[in-house]
Formats: sequence, structure tokens, C-alpha cells
Amino acid sequence: MKGKVALITGITGQDGAYLAELLLKKGYEVHGIKRRASLFNTQRIDHLYRDPHDIGRKFTLHYGDLSDSTNLIRIIQQVRPDEIYNLAAQSHVKVSFESPEYTADVDALGTLRLLEAVRILGMEKHTRFYQASTSELYGQVVETPQTEKTPFYPRSPYAVAKLYAYWITVNYREAYGMYACNGILFNHESPLRGETFVTRKITRAMARIKLGLQDCLYLGNMSALRDWGHAKDYVEMQWLMLQQDAPDDFVIATGRQHSVRDFVKMAAAELGISIRFEGTGADEKGYDAKTGACLVAVDPRYFRPTEVETLLGDPTKARERLGWVPKITLEEMVTEMVRADLRDAERDALCKSQGFAVFDLNE
Amino acid sequence: MKQALIFGVSGQDGAYLAQLLLQKGYRVAGTSRDAQMASFASLAALGIGEQVEVHSVTLTDFRSVLTVLAKVKPDEIYHLAGQSSVGLSFDQPVETFMSIGVGTLNLLEAVRFLGAPARLYHASSSDCFGDTGGEPATEHTPFAPRSPYAVAKAAAHFEVANYREAYKLFACNGILFNHESPLRPKRFVTRKIVAAAARIAAGSGETLSLGNIDVARDWGNAREYVEAMWLMLQQDAPEDFVIATGQTITLRQFVAEAFAALGLDWQDHVKVDSTLFRPADIAVSRANPAKAAQTLGWKATMGPADVARAMAVHEQQEILQK
Repeated sequence: MKGKVALITGITGQDGAYLAELLLKKGYEVHGIKRRASLFNTQRIDHLYRDPHDIGRKFTLHYGDLSDSTNLIRIIQQVRPDEIYNLAAQSHVKVSFESPEYTADVDALGTLRLLEAVRILGMEKHTRFYQASTSELYGQVVETPQTEKTPFYPRSPYAVAKLYAYWITVNYREAYGMYACNGILFNHESPLRGETFVTRKITRAMARIKLGLQDCLYLGNMSALRDWGHAKDYVEMQWLMLQQDAPDDFVIATGRQHSVRDFVKMAAAELGISIRFEGTGADEKGYDAKTGACLVAVDPRYFRPTEVETLLGDPTKARERLGWVPKITLEEMVTEMVRADLRDAERDALCKSQGFAVFDLNE
Repeated sequence: MKQALIFGVSGQDGAYLAQLLLQKGYRVAGTSRDAQMASFASLAALGIGEQVEVHSVTLTDFRSVLTVLAKVKPDEIYHLAGQSSVGLSFDQPVETFMSIGVGTLNLLEAVRFLGAPARLYHASSSDCFGDTGGEPATEHTPFAPRSPYAVAKAAAHFEVANYREAYKLFACNGILFNHESPLRPKRFVTRKIVAAAARIAAGSGETLSLGNIDVARDWGNAREYVEAMWLMLQQDAPEDFVIATGQTITLRQFVAEAFAALGLDWQDHVKVDSTLFRPADIAVSRANPAKAAQTLGWKATMGPADVARAMAVHEQQEILQK
């Protein structure tokens, strides 16, 4: 029996990597779309890669871009996927204020181009579609916790573009009977999270501070409250949404909330560092309780023109209908992330001590 | 003397708004995608073709937006441009988002870039609400858009709200329910109906084919609605407003009123054609325009049935004049 075929956009990202691994384990033939760049950007999926000459290879990468309809149509025509997971996006909230048009083109129109490609190929009754929607849609929240019924109030060009993508997915489901689902995923992290996202930025900085590779961590709004889960758990729900009898939209969250400040404390504690916070607003600082060194400070550059202060998901529907139970706790995730970043930092420290250059990977 | 700039001046609302602003003593400039090729028939129909300075602007082209803003230096900007047909949006979904979503973004960015002190009105749409299950929509009703047009308008609406909050622009969304007039193009169902009714009254003997006539809408008079746009920009603080009559009738009733105004029984001349049904359509749209009445002191004087009759009579007079 021929296994199912999946196409993942955004395969080089955190979720793409975990999802590809999951689907390969389930016997899928997995195709991914990556943008062409002068540099390799495949660290997260290198362990899945197979040489194109290998017989029976089940993992294939295609060059592509959500801003090019012809390219998407051609790839979908070749791959004929049973399932499409649209995880590709300009996914950084702060960057969206600086590149709003690009964000709209990729996140909003890109989703439409994919849905249209499926229709143009006459595959709307064949191909199931997952859209990576986001808790950022709730923005300036109108109720807490947020459910599938909570109205949206997007607060950034990123969230507005994702709002378009959410509703156009719903519209194609209603208008053309497509099996299309929105997963409204709250923040989900892992050692594979991009280095510029706050959780990874924190765990990476704490590990580097511990080894003397960095002095201080600069953050934006440390009072922001988020509902953090593990990406590995969340991609399983992405897959499960496409295995139901009927398409629907689901909130995926843990139902627990912590501040960015809490996350810093947890990451530091994992390395045996105790941080004492003093001051408020832009003057808030975090000091090493033992040495008194300033390890954390606020840089207003990281403030957003409009902040999202609090997000907390209510995953009742996913629990009841999809059997959603997150397996990895926040504490376990922080431990995993810190250990992974400590390992990287140790490698860098070793290279440096032997006279080799290492990348600092600054923003 | 205040300077106004109307994006999308060649359309129904653009023409009535230009007329209103001229009456109020504004200098009025307007844009169209190709001002040399556009006929500006609506401006001509209102006899103001010569008084509006027109510029060629494509909202999806940042340079073109920036140039017209720098040249005109408006005190008030009215953004009425964009692909405006729900039906067409199913056939041209990408262009619909480009013109509405990206176009609005370009305009907001251009205002920001120039640091222009201009006030901005954005034509949001009642289509953003989708089907409220008969509940009258207010400014607090969540959006549930049901067409590529409505989805694009919902995005543009929140772009405007976000730029107001993030960059303190004086920017307002007018969430206008259906508003009609003799200047509506004939592809819009209201104009299609009254045009057919007038021809039938003149003896054409044709049959009018319509899609789903059980849909219910709140139809107002466009001429009254442009006043609400202007009022929004005269307030102390920028806010969003629902603009509607507060009355809803079915398309069947609208047809009956229009035909009756010309002494006809609609049932003798209309057939329902299911191929004209849209892939996803809103059954009932209903509005509560209380905030506009309270804050702007604005109220519609004509209800949907008045609009149907007035449009039919106007259409008949036009035929008679020819």
C-alpha cells in the first residue's frame, strides 16, 4: 500500500522539522518547500535528509516560495499531496512592523496562493489543508482564557496578515467544501526555536552567560504573559486535525500562563543562577543574586508599537475532540532548551579556547 | 480652505463625497487608477467633473501613493478605493487582497512615512460581520467574513486600527452597510433590479433573473452615508462607526418595492436562477447604528424600502429623458 504524501511549507523551521519527523515515523512520504538562499538553512532537518540518489527515499525538498503562485502550482502538481501543512510565514511579530507589506504578501496572500493552487489543480476534494494560525490573532484580548469563539483583535501587521489567512481558510472550507483547518496554536517552543524568539533568546543567552561568552541579556516587555508549550507536542495536533471526519478549527494551548520574567528565572535556575529583579519598566534589571552582576536589562528597542500583554488558551475543545494532552511540561521544556544551548555554548567555548573563530549569531 | 483627497473618486461614494465636500467649501482632489482613461461618469452625472482635480494612482504602488500625498498635501484623506464586488472576489481573490489589503497598508505606510498630519477615513465594510444570525451588528460585534472580499476588508480594517494604536494616526473605519444610489454600477444587484424594472415598465418584455432573493440586507442611501464619513473626521478622537439605517428587508421585498413603484407586480417578471447563487453568502445582515446617532448625530432618513422605490423612479425618469 502506498503511504500518504504530505507537503510541508516552512519545512526548515521549528514546526516543520518536528512535523516532518513525526510524519516520516508514521510512514508518510514527506515533501518540503524551502526558499532558496545563498546559505544553507537546513540545520533543523539535516538528520532527515537523504541523498537524492538513495532508492526508496521518503524525504524530498523543493525550492519554492509562497510569493510565487506558478511555483506552488507546479510543486503541488508534481507531489499530489494528500495533506498540505502551511507552516511557512514571516513569523516574527516585531519584524512585521518593519516589513508589513512583505509580511502581508507571504503570510496572507501566500496562504491564498496555496489554497488557489489546490483548486486550480482540481484537488480540493483530495487534499487536506492545515493552516498555522496563531494566538497572536487574539492580540488585545477581549476575554480570558481564549477559546475558538473568542473574537480576534490583532495588534501587529503579522497578526493582521494571519487574520486574513485564518478567514480565507475558513472561506475556502465553506465555499468550496475543502477539508481545511486552522490550528490556533499558542506559543510553542523547543531547542529548535529560532534564536530571535524570546524563549530561545533567553535560554541561549543564559547558557552563554554561564560560560562567560556573553555579559548581559537585553529584552523587551518582560511582563508579557504567555501560554508556552512544546512544539513537539503541538505538531502532533496539527496532524490529528487532518485525520478527523470533518474539518474544524482548534485552539492548542496548555492553559497555563507565565511571564517572560518567570521564564528568565526558570532558565537561570536550571544553570544554578538565581536572579533578583529590581526596578520597573525600561529601568528593570536582573542581578545575579550571588555576584551582583547585572545579567538582564531592558532595551526599549525590543518594545513593540502595540504590545500584546497577555495570552492564555483554553484547549478544552482539542482535549475533548482530539484527545489533546500535552506530554511535556514547561519545566521539562526549559530544562531541555537550556541543556541544548549549554551544549552549543560549551562547543563554542572550546573552539574559542583553541583559537578557532565561532559565530556569535547576533541579530 | 481645507484640502481633501479621495482615493477611488470615480466610484459611487467618491462622487457623492466629492460633491458634499465641494459644497462644504473644500478643495477636492481624487484618484483613479488611470485618470486619463477613466470616464468619471459619476462625477459628470453630478455636474462636478471640472471641480475635482484627478490624479492617476495605483494603491499597490507605494511610489504612486507617496507622490499624490506629497503633491496634494491633504487635510483629510478618504480611502474608498479597492475591488468592491463580493461576486468578483471569488473569481479574483488575489487581486482583491492586493487592492484592499496591500493597498490600505501602502496608504497607511505613506502617511506614516511623510509624517503627514492628515486625518484618514477608511471604507471598511459590513461584509466583515458575515452572518450574525439575525443579531444587529455594532462596533463590538466580532467579524466572521464569508467571501474573499470580506476577508480582505477585515484585514484592512484591522490594519487601520493597528496603525491608529501603534502610530497614533487619526484613522477611522466606517463600517458601512449596503448603500445604494443611481450611481451604483449595474453589476450590483440593486441597480440591476431597478434597471430591469424600468425597462420592463417601458415595455421591454424581458424576464429578470436573480440569485438568492431570500437574503436580507440593510440598504441605505449612499448620498446620506458620505455625510457620516465626513463627520467621523470632524471628531476629537478617531473611532470606528457602524453606518446603517437600522432596518433590514429581504431582496424579495426590495424587488417588490422597486417594481410596485413603477406599477408592476414583480412576480410576473422575475425568475430565480440558482446558478447565480454565490459559493458562500450571508443570509441576513442587520445593523445597530446607535453609536453613530449618539456620537456623530447622524441618522439615515431613508429606509431600505424608500431606497428601492426612489432608485426605481429615478431609473424610469432616465429612460423617459432618453
